[in-house]
Amino acid sequence: MTVLCRLDDLPDGGARGFEVPGLDCKVIVVRKGERVHGWRDFCPHYKGGTPMAWKRDAYLNGARTHIACHAHGAWFDIETGACVQGPCLGRRLIRVPLTIDAAGAVCMRPREERT
Amino acid sequence: MQIIGPDSLVFGVDDVPACHEFLTAYGLAPQDYSPEKGGHFVSLDGTGLEIRRRDDPSLPPALKTGNMLRMQVLGVVDQAALDAVAAELGKDRQVLRLADGSLRTQDDQGFELSFRVTTRRQLDLPAEKVNAPGDLGRKPNQLGVWQDMPTDPRTLSHVVLFVPDIEPAVAFYRDRLGFRITDTFIGTGPFLRPQANPDHHTHFFIRTPPYMQGCEHLAFHMGGPTELMLAGSKMIKAGFESFWGPGRHKFGSNWFWYFKSPLGCNVEFDADMDTHDDDWIPRETPMGAEAAQAFLFQHRDKWAPSGGPKPGQ
Repeated sequence: MTVLCRLDDLPDGGARGFEVPGLDCKVIVVRKGERVHGWRDFCPHYKGGTPMAWKRDAYLNGARTHIACHAHGAWFDIETGACVQGPCLGRRLIRVPLTIDAAGAVCMRPREERT
Repeated sequence: MQIIGPDSLVFGVDDVPACHEFLTAYGLAPQDYSPEKGGHFVSLDGTGLEIRRRDDPSLPPALKTGNMLRMQVLGVVDQAALDAVAAELGKDRQVLRLADGSLRTQDDQGFELSFRVTTRRQLDLPAEKVNAPGDLGRKPNQLGVWQDMPTDPRTLSHVVLFVPDIEPAVAFYRDRLGFRITDTFIGTGPFLRPQANPDHHTHFFIRTPPYMQGCEHLAFHMGGPTELMLAGSKMIKAGFESFWGPGRHKFGSNWFWYFKSPLGCNVEFDADMDTHDDDWIPRETPMGAEAAQAFLFQHRDKWAPSGGPKPGQ
């Protein structure tokens, strides 16, 4: 299991991006209360994907209701990854399954680590 | 039609302070700004962006797509040019004359347009000068670069639009407003130059589905490629994220470096764009990586061949 961070490191309602060895894009972790959602930092607008933040860890829209790609304004549902507005309407982000262990560490499940 | 190009682009955004952070780092000067109401962000000649809250009642209606561009303000050379625009567009659409003398209307796609006698200032600034054997651009002892040299954007260069119904859109700008097509990416769209501006393009249209309509990117002209490289490097160092570049486009020959932004579109530095007149014969080529640039680089941290990580790390 790859540990990305501790739940306490994440502001509630906020997002952070993590470099993971072996993955060619960052992993975005969004915290909502005691739950976390993991997504690849990979906007599906263009083949090959593009990273989405406008500055380090700036993945969310202003109201922090959606993950936003700041290249062309696509918005994605934080819980489902579905694009709800913008260039990749009908497509979705690639989920990174996460678990929170008993000690409060946010981990990637091994299945994802093999990819 | 003696149109010069965009004096201002108006955005209704969902995070005004984020836009302030981004645009001031980019090099624009805030004017009449507050975090609650937004404000103007201007380049050296006074052209720039107007940033307001998405729900600001003073803004024209938003596009249905959620794109944050709310209006283009196009500058014309004088009052006669403004009257000519009013007369032409008044033939088939409502053109409002506002108290400040400007015109307000829409293009055929529903993009909001304002026209005014330009408020841009004439710039009296030297371009970046290059020394080459046979042609020394700089005087002796005049330096080509220093770390804290100014990198202020000089003028609003161009806006690129995602356009769903591209043929009528092109016809409107070409046939009604007198823009010249300088070059075309076949299957994507044309680069457009208004008659009172020699720049290769002030507009470029990209054919898209209706749900994408909006601003794809905007750009300001820099004083030269060195300013562009330095400005972009400062953005990277400050934690902002590159989208594409630095590199040099083929159509227009302009150097480019694009950054993602909280305006919901890319914001580009450009430098050293070609200029044209009506003797130019437009080119056409299919869009693709080869056609889009002469070369492309990616930023890396400073390095010297005296230790530290190997190239590529």
